[in-house]
Amino acid sequence: MKKVLVVVNQPPYQSSHALELIEAAMVGAVFDFEVSILFRGEGVWNLLGDQNASPLGRRTVSKLLAALPTYDVSSLFVCTEALNQAALKTDQLVVPAALLSPQEQAGLIARQDAVIGG
Amino acid sequence: MKFTIAVHGAPYASLANERALKFCSAVLAAGHDIVRVFFYHEGVLAALDSTVAPQDEIDITREWQKFALQQNTELAVCIANGLKRGLLSTEEQNRYDKTAPTLAAGFELVGLGQLIDGIAAADRYVEFPA
Repeated sequence: MKKVLVVVNQPPYQSSHALELIEAAMVGAVFDFEVSILFRGEGVWNLLGDQNASPLGRRTVSKLLAALPTYDVSSLFVCTEALNQAALKTDQLVVPAALLSPQEQAGLIARQDAVIGG
Repeated sequence: MKFTIAVHGAPYASLANERALKFCSAVLAAGHDIVRVFFYHEGVLAALDSTVAPQDEIDITREWQKFALQQNTELAVCIANGLKRGLLSTEEQNRYDKTAPTLAAGFELVGLGQLIDGIAAADRYVEFPA
């Protein structure tokens, strides 16, 4: 079983990248890959709960993220520095994500067979 | 060694395609193999048949077609990312009742599973971002 990390560093609605990367993570999990997602940079905004993208005519990313455990994407990580920079607290996140320092992120990346996005 | 290549950037908006093309040539020149080239995000626009490159600039779509023909390489375009950006095979054109197909010859619309399959089958996965 290959280990794949999906790195999301774009905010949820500026482009379709975050949504498309989360979709890739879900398909990876369907194919029995060991999939984890790392949110860093502006990507941490994807994790914010209570999103509603219907005024934009877009799919609500936080709803997709809430469904991740049913897709067996269970390892979610978030960059501590990026979370602080966005002034977000862990209790505001739609799903639990483990906080990682940049050094710990390097370790996470080094353990993967492939990294998608970022 | 087997490589799967992903292209995420659009022609003209990024150098992702130029870089990926050169990298693919280098991979083969070094005696390695390419499982497939997978176009994702705005990278799918490389497969747009209705583009006309300026005469003194690289024609990305034709370069990929030449490369695929010479090297027998699979050019896989994510169907979900492609449809919403205007990439239509004849089959999809008929399905959605659009006026013309837009997918250049040599490219194929495929499911996202083909990216995952490509990563599973390769020793290395190399991505060219926007």
